[in-house]
Amino acid sequence: MFCRNQTARATVARGSALEMEIRRGKFRKSVFLDTSQDSDIQKKIDHEIRMRDGACKLLAACSQKDQALEAAKSLQTCSTRIMAYMSELQRMKEAQVMQKVTRRSSDAGPMDDRLPCKGKVAISDLRIPLMWKDTEYFKNKGELHRCAVFCLLQLGGEIFDTDMVIVDRTLTDICFDNTIVFSEASPGFELRVELYSCCSEDDYSAGSTPRKLASKLSSSLGRSAGKKLRAAMEPGPCSPVSNGGASPLLLPVPSVPGPKYHLLAHTTLSLSHIQDSFRTHDLTISGNEECSYWLPLYGSMCCRLAAQPHCMTQQMMSGCLKVKQLGGDTQSWAEVYAVLKGTSLFCYHRQEDVEANIEPAFTIAINKETRIRASEKDPQSKVQNICVSNQYGGEEVTHTLTTDSREDTHRWMEAFWQHFYDMSQWKQCCDDLMKIELPSPRKPAPVTPKQGSLYHEMVIESSDDLSSTVSDILARRMQELELRSQLGTSPTWMSVFDESNPKSAGRPRPCTSRLSGHSPCTPPRLPRSPLSPHRCPQLGLLSSDASLTSDSDSHCSTSPCSQRHGWPEPSSNFSLLSSSPSRLRPRTLSLDAKLSTLRGRGYGGGGTFQCPCQPPPSSLLAPLPISSRSPLSQRSTQTTLSCSSSTSSNSSSNSEGSHSPESSEGAPFSRPSPARRSLRNLRARLDPRNWLQSQV
Amino acid sequence: MSTYTPGQPVTAVVQRIEIHKLRQGDNLILGFSIGGGIDQDPGQNPFSGDKTDKGIYVTRITPGGPAHEAGLRMGDKIMQVNGWDMTMVTHDQARKTLTKKNEDTVRLLVTRKSLEDAVKNSMGSYPRQ
Repeated sequence: MFCRNQTARATVARGSALEMEIRRGKFRKSVFLDTSQDSDIQKKIDHEIRMRDGACKLLAACSQKDQALEAAKSLQTCSTRIMAYMSELQRMKEAQVMQKVTRRSSDAGPMDDRLPCKGKVAISDLRIPLMWKDTEYFKNKGELHRCAVFCLLQLGGEIFDTDMVIVDRTLTDICFDNTIVFSEASPGFELRVELYSCCSEDDYSAGSTPRKLASKLSSSLGRSAGKKLRAAMEPGPCSPVSNGGASPLLLPVPSVPGPKYHLLAHTTLSLSHIQDSFRTHDLTISGNEECSYWLPLYGSMCCRLAAQPHCMTQQMMSGCLKVKQLGGDTQSWAEVYAVLKGTSLFCYHRQEDVEANIEPAFTIAINKETRIRASEKDPQSKVQNICVSNQYGGEEVTHTLTTDSREDTHRWMEAFWQHFYDMSQWKQCCDDLMKIELPSPRKPAPVTPKQGSLYHEMVIESSDDLSSTVSDILARRMQELELRSQLGTSPTWMSVFDESNPKSAGRPRPCTSRLSGHSPCTPPRLPRSPLSPHRCPQLGLLSSDASLTSDSDSHCSTSPCSQRHGWPEPSSNFSLLSSSPSRLRPRTLSLDAKLSTLRGRGYGGGGTFQCPCQPPPSSLLAPLPISSRSPLSQRSTQTTLSCSSSTSSNSSSNSEGSHSPESSEGAPFSRPSPARRSLRNLRARLDPRNWLQSQV
Repeated sequence: MSTYTPGQPVTAVVQRIEIHKLRQGDNLILGFSIGGGIDQDPGQNPFSGDKTDKGIYVTRITPGGPAHEAGLRMGDKIMQVNGWDMTMVTHDQARKTLTKKNEDTVRLLVTRKSLEDAVKNSMGSYPRQ
């Protein structure tokens, strides 16, 4: 008749004596009232009333919006708790009255009903997806419609609230990170989840504005703003019963100015929803689009609901037993201290082993498949044996247990029956122990470090700060420019080239790149190199081409050699060169790219060795494409060109493949400088032509 | 993996795969690589049947790694990770969801062509929405 877990509203008649007593906080100390239990609840009610008064005062006093929201949330929680305690009190009183009545009228029947054990139920990782319409983005351009939401979770007499989350249209899901654990839940529990939300616009403070003024204001403000204001101020048709409905029955809820929460959605979870992993449940949504606190919910809720029945975590029964040794001598019994917990009967050699956490001597499985029966009386002793049968693999294994006295045997049988009953009631929760993580104190979110392990081929860098990378590169370039201006050999060079190679001025990039390809190491051979192109410009080009195509780190060392070796074989390459003026144009980019990669390597990797080599190439390059005027400016443009070409070359070479591995993995260049690499990474990542892959 | 209409629910034959992350020093690794995402170019995905599919695909499995042992295969499309949807996420979101530091197992729902074919063959006419 009276369901234990039903959380009904208390229907205490207004003006009744019971109500008056509850108000005053006292109640009749009559014979048939269980005072201890009631006083517990009464204490809780008092506590909550005090909390509620405090919340009201805070709400009236605070000026900041989020403070007000938090205070309103506590107010809502306290009110709900008071309601729950009241109804529980009511139920208890009614039950006692009924009991007294029945006891008088009829004799109590055998109270044989077995009650299942209680358990812990935990709900965590609540997530409620939202479904914003695209009109939301286009309609409200300026203002951001915000709501403050929180969840109220109620199981039996325990009510908990989650933290408050501010939701606006940039969020796709409402996530509550709290783990809520209810300690005493029976298998037939009903966990009620309620989502409350409150509109959180900055402009409107609800409540105290008189209605006439409010309507005047709303008509003078714009249409949508006025609608919001009006909706924010009246509880309106949107909100269901909430506090307004309850107050005439019980203690009147003080109406305070400030934000008020309305029920947006609710659902009820029970034993069938328990699973050791995440599950999606449907929500029942109350309210409609017109309400101020409306949020476009997708209609479902994702959470992890786990339960640990006490039969799985606590010792249900323990005591001394004798276990018949299987096989061999039929009359030998082993004395053990047995503990019934979870899905096993742990048998220890001694009782002290249990506390000492020593491994049990052996374990007998007690699960849903186990069969237990009492065998016939053993002829030797007067006591019945208990036979426990399990299926291990295909075979049936039977353990025989016995105790010293009949009462013990009876108690053990009783414990086993209770255990089976518990398991049948808690169903899937008794298959395995579900993990419940107790909420730990807040830690700051850990910064993800660099991942590096055997499975990773390349270190994945954490977020690159683009600005610092670019400033690094710029600083380095400035240094190089300074160095070049210091060396000052440029004018001589330039003049030589101007005179000697008039036609190379007509040639576009490829010539310049080829020339400078071998020039980095020519300063030691300064007297020779101006001569060589002068003497045989084609051959000079050839040798540099060879050095370019080698594409190794030691290009500097090879180029002088190739310069020498390049002489004997002019013919083959020469023809190549002369025959491919048309091909030069499509190859322009790659050659330029190669140039810049070599120079890039020179910039970062070589250090001092390469540095003095740098000035000449740019100085050589400067006059050739355009007539030299201000070398410095030419140099700067050239270098910037090289930088961009290097990155674009990276992306172009990457996109040549159908899918490239992560740019940091598949770098065709060996060991570029970190700054350049990170910039390249970033550009590669941002380049839509790449198909990014990440290692997890 | 059929073409879908945005806003409509997607139906697929999925396999549940539970991967226990392997601890290597300070890191928890799964042993596979992902590609794809709504911010990536779907035309470059070599594993997808439909070249407009912007889902998250498994591009490489480290042999002997946790993912390999759990049954994940190259070319699988990941639909969900621990309840989080993976069909409409950016590449980085997917990577972050898989590499959460406080989780040491991930439960994936993956789909592959062979699964769908198997169901189709076994059921004759496969009811499609």
